[in-house]
Amino acid sequence: MRAALAARAGTLAIVAVILALLPFQLSNYHQGLAARVGVYFIAILGLNVLTGYTGQISIGHGAFMAIGGYTTAIMSADHHTNLIATLPLAFAITFACSLLVGLPALRFSGVYLALATFALAVSVPQLPLKFSKFTGGSNGIRTVDAPGNLWLYGVTWACGALLFAGAWLLLRGRIGRAFRAVRDSEIAATSSGVELPVYKTLAFGVSAAYAGVAGSLFVLATNGFAQPNEFGILLSLKILIGAAVAGLGSLWGVLVGAVFIGMLPEISSSVPLVGSSHGQDVVFGLLVILVMLLLPTGVAGMLGRLVRGRART
Amino acid sequence: MGMKRRIFASTVAIVAVAGIAATAAFGAHQADPGITSSSIKIGGTFPLTGPASLYKTIPLAEKAYFDYINAHGGVHGRKIDFTILDDGYDPSKTVPLVQQLVQQDKVFAVMGSLGTAPGLATWGYLNKNKVPQVLLATGDSYWGFCSVKKCGGTTYPWTIGWQPDYPGEGKIYGRYIATTMPNAKVGVLYQNDAYGKNYYAGLRVGLGAKKTDIVDAESYDVTNPSLTQQILALKSKGANTFVIFGTPSPTITALVTATKVGWSPTTFVNNVSANRLFLLAAAANGASVNGAISTTYVESPSTQPNLTGMKFGKAIINQYAPALAKSFASGDTNIVYGLGSAWTFVYALERAGKNPTRASLMKALHSMNTSKNPFLYPGIKLQTSAKDHFPIEQEIMIKWSGGGGGDWHPFGKLLSGVR
Repeated sequence: MRAALAARAGTLAIVAVILALLPFQLSNYHQGLAARVGVYFIAILGLNVLTGYTGQISIGHGAFMAIGGYTTAIMSADHHTNLIATLPLAFAITFACSLLVGLPALRFSGVYLALATFALAVSVPQLPLKFSKFTGGSNGIRTVDAPGNLWLYGVTWACGALLFAGAWLLLRGRIGRAFRAVRDSEIAATSSGVELPVYKTLAFGVSAAYAGVAGSLFVLATNGFAQPNEFGILLSLKILIGAAVAGLGSLWGVLVGAVFIGMLPEISSSVPLVGSSHGQDVVFGLLVILVMLLLPTGVAGMLGRLVRGRART
Repeated sequence: MGMKRRIFASTVAIVAVAGIAATAAFGAHQADPGITSSSIKIGGTFPLTGPASLYKTIPLAEKAYFDYINAHGGVHGRKIDFTILDDGYDPSKTVPLVQQLVQQDKVFAVMGSLGTAPGLATWGYLNKNKVPQVLLATGDSYWGFCSVKKCGGTTYPWTIGWQPDYPGEGKIYGRYIATTMPNAKVGVLYQNDAYGKNYYAGLRVGLGAKKTDIVDAESYDVTNPSLTQQILALKSKGANTFVIFGTPSPTITALVTATKVGWSPTTFVNNVSANRLFLLAAAANGASVNGAISTTYVESPSTQPNLTGMKFGKAIINQYAPALAKSFASGDTNIVYGLGSAWTFVYALERAGKNPTRASLMKALHSMNTSKNPFLYPGIKLQTSAKDHFPIEQEIMIKWSGGGGGDWHPFGKLLSGVR
């Protein structure tokens, strides 16, 4: 047990060192790309808390990213707030909004909750169009200045590390146990004294707040430009795919899930095989199918099997 | 274990790529990026997929024109290597793609990129890095104004558009109504964003004292599938003149809906949505389009096939983009737009010197004066100066006749000073 913990800590340390040294080895363009992977890392991390640990499916995390993103853009454009200061604000505002949404929505569960969040993903990006004086409408709104790629990389991965530690602390203790109990059987959880509405709403709120921070950073990675098109339903689906690839109910695969959705479109667009402009979608789709077939429990599941396999021999 | 190895492998790969990129960057010191003695690399972002993909014939036509130029020796012996990237009209995709063009592909200039929001999301980055962002395919006035005067505290001297400005076009309709339609009761339908509002503002300026002829103005959001409410409101206010400032799909819906609710006003359609193919689509769905009025600044392959420019265009499309030939023959003016825009780039590049730099390209674009662009409506000039960064400022009015198999026909004099 202690050896396993040491191995985990060791892996974590290696990943952290690599991430810390990486930007100095990368071209400016790749720094931007790696920062974008960090954005997905945070969003997938958040979704994993909700879907992986608490068993509630959300197809609406793009909507929470929109709320976080617009918080940053509006605070910077209208109030000249420091960009870093907008991140905790995005966290708080998204958390509050998700509670408002979550209170009624969490009366649903399973596929019905998924549909309710789907509605969120479709409707929230319309709001900026309705309140265009405030949000710039379809012309978007820009932060006062746009950060460079190295800044983005640093801030994104620092947030990623902080939030990863936060998620780990939250999930390893009493609250995490309650989340898992809700996931495994709501009836059993209730009868053991877990208050369903409280824990479900908490998981929803934390998860959404993570997405809010991811949305903030997403806008900063778009040259500080927020516009409704950025937060379409595809973004929500991408994050869900990333979480599935990462493996639900484990924090270890999240990095791979983030790399998968952050880098694959870049790589597959240069695959000459398919040629047409839809080529990259085809490659992406095929890989998702392959992952689902070969790694139904995601990368985390595969890692788990590897570790267990080694332990047995 | 597997993850560690994977991370290690990808780190090695990334470091290797970065190393190569760094070497390449140090190698090319003397000239601007993207240019060698035999080639010049440019690129742009376009909606090949997604809601605005109706515009995808534009970059394909541009590529066809560059291929034609390359087959005839290129520009000062340099072949134009044009990269088309698909951003699906989503600015968050445009940003990394433009960074890819600048930092990976090391383009000399970003040319023809389509869309106002994608343009706004990237012009800060491009201007900071002094990369030309030229002949943007959007008619918002930012590109012309903000490259000369400060916008939000900054000027954007490396940016320039191409087509006539939207408010200017709105003014044309306003003046036309004010001078020729004394009994007009105007109902306006505009898209609820800067694009639609700028057009609407232009219309009001053009109407002048006759502004009071506007009996109602309704707006719609671009994603709203139904326009029935707005159309019924306009009809019930007694409007007999219907001015639409929309993007293609909503415009088609508006035309169809108006006919369905039994309203038959004199209709104005803005240029961006007045491609013949769009009107044919509306007519095929039951819209009555006879008598509709719009403007154009390019030649029409369907009504002016005998003009030199259209014969030239047909030859280029047939040889270098045969997939577009049918669309071209049936009057897809977006193809003509692409050809005309690419012609302008080549024209500027020729005049940017034997060994062009990014600065000399901008200078050439800021000192154009020619009526030789074969794809523009006869008589229309490309004209810019140090203070005037609006390349095209002339349009001709067109009217639709012939119903569901009909076409646009120009009328009146060429109008100047469209701004």
